[in-house]
Amino acid sequence: MRQWAFVAAFGMAALWSAGAGAEMQCRAARELLELGNPLAIAKTAVAEERELRIVAMGSSSTQGYGATNPQFSYPAQLKMRLEKAMPGIKIHVWNKGIGGQDAAEMVERMRQDVTPEHAHIVVWQVGTNSAIRRDPLTKFAEKLRTGIDIGHSLGANFVMMNLQYVPAVVALPDEEEYAQAMADVAKEKNVGLFRRFEIMRSWYNDGMPYAQFVTNDGLHLNDFGQKCIGKLLSMSILNAVNPRQLTGTANTSH
Amino acid sequence: MKAAVPVPPYLAPGRDLRLDFFRGLALWFIFLDHIPENVVSWITVRNYGFSDATEIFVFISGYTAVIAYSRMMLKDGWMRAAARIFRRVWQLYVAHILLFVAFTAQIAYVSIARDTPQLIEEMQLMGLGQNPYRAILEAALLKFRPVNLDVLPLYIVLLAAFPFALPAVLRWPWVVIGTSIGLYAATSRFDWNLPGYPDDKVWFFNPMAWQVIFYSGAVLAVVAPRLAILDHRRWTMTALAVFYLLFAGFIALSWHYNSLERLIPDWFARQIYPIDKTNLDILRFVHFLALGWIARLLVRPNAQFLKWRVFQPIRRCGEHSLPIFCLGTFLAVTAEIIVARYEESIVSQLLVSLAGLILMSLFAYAASWSKAQAKVRA
Repeated sequence: MRQWAFVAAFGMAALWSAGAGAEMQCRAARELLELGNPLAIAKTAVAEERELRIVAMGSSSTQGYGATNPQFSYPAQLKMRLEKAMPGIKIHVWNKGIGGQDAAEMVERMRQDVTPEHAHIVVWQVGTNSAIRRDPLTKFAEKLRTGIDIGHSLGANFVMMNLQYVPAVVALPDEEEYAQAMADVAKEKNVGLFRRFEIMRSWYNDGMPYAQFVTNDGLHLNDFGQKCIGKLLSMSILNAVNPRQLTGTANTSH
Repeated sequence: MKAAVPVPPYLAPGRDLRLDFFRGLALWFIFLDHIPENVVSWITVRNYGFSDATEIFVFISGYTAVIAYSRMMLKDGWMRAAARIFRRVWQLYVAHILLFVAFTAQIAYVSIARDTPQLIEEMQLMGLGQNPYRAILEAALLKFRPVNLDVLPLYIVLLAAFPFALPAVLRWPWVVIGTSIGLYAATSRFDWNLPGYPDDKVWFFNPMAWQVIFYSGAVLAVVAPRLAILDHRRWTMTALAVFYLLFAGFIALSWHYNSLERLIPDWFARQIYPIDKTNLDILRFVHFLALGWIARLLVRPNAQFLKWRVFQPIRRCGEHSLPIFCLGTFLAVTAEIIVARYEESIVSQLLVSLAGLILMSLFAYAASWSKAQAKVRA
């Protein structure tokens, strides 16, 4: 008798939890998805070469740490979604994420990681580890410039992805300064900026709980977070590359 | 009359049902947690604090390692015991390789049978695509471990080193736990880890950090009777443990309610985050110890509920932890494929979770039956 009462209580608790686990949608305001750069090289590549080559440079977020399946990492999601949105265009995405690296370490390998892939776009996910390690802001900005210059010299467009909005980052005294430094450098160097920090903050402010998009280490994105960022980044890149407009011009010219 | 000297658990006859029960529970939790975005995983321990089922599994592995091999060492000598441990390591290794093959074969089968290139892509992502021969070599060396296949390699490394620690564990348990904590602290301080494959990957469960959970289990199996000292301070200990569990519970709850989350000041959040899993953050370790203390108080070795029939499936799973762990990891992928196919509905998550637990239990019962048959014949 007592056993079954226990089982019933347990079942009730499970149902309650399931109700609490009701999820919110993956979304972001349109203006947050503006990269602020036309990605001209990528656009030309899609129109003329029918191909888009992307290198995802970054740390653990790029590597997919925290996802239960590598398929959920944002670079994998990016490839899947771009392929779906642009049938007939060959999409390559190389995952060059190494957990724990900061801006300086990624600049070190920028050339050797981007060169062989002839990338049209370098997505550079950066900032979080530099902020956690309290790299001086001026040094951080300088590293960003150096990295971007290397990528530009190799003929790639840049999309910088800024910090993730998670407990471990929000707790820092100056995480917004790092995000601001990235925005400033993006403007100065005329590169795209995917405002992950602002997008995720809007989730949080809309009432989405951390449990939905962060693993319980308080730092890394979970499956939902990874997939959603992958989806929104794809939308941003598609907006810029605008394949519909491209196919439109292709049709009229024939 | 002289008071009887309490017998350490590692010399006591009979089976400690608590070990089977909690290990079975950990195996169930690991299965549920491995299904992505599974609603049923809300019942698992990780949602109510810092530590999760992995700590339970590794701790009990250390505890049972002492129980299983210390008596053998005291009776037949170190050589015999070491040989038996290495035989077990070999079994674990074979199981891991079998699981690796079954795991990848399942993904390959589904992608070929249903022509879903997405799954092939998944294998590529796992690192099998670019250079499969190299990946197989690295898998044999335990350096290449597709996602979710991280726990057994950790166990293999821990158990392979265990014969050399066993005599010390029995003779100088306090020295062992001191060394273990020292290694753990140095590992997190200097960021040591074992190499992985591809080159930039490290061990998701860093053995040099996670050994501290294993040796906590091993040492506690030896010193348990002497823990009576702690019982004099039972109320202090319990108050501390409860306080810490409430604190962890509050933090965990704050991940679900932003209004609670806003109550945590930045300077405090900076002290706790990130709560690293790879190197076993101190918050996780202490959380597990607090849970362990409460479990020790609440669940006596002869507690009635351990024998309840409704819990028998859990205990059976705990008795056959190795095959059940492998089966659970395999079924979690099956569940993932099925859930993805049915639009990730809550009903499908509930059904595959339940079906998986039933299959694991049936397998455990079959394993018990087959073992009993073998005994009868012998």
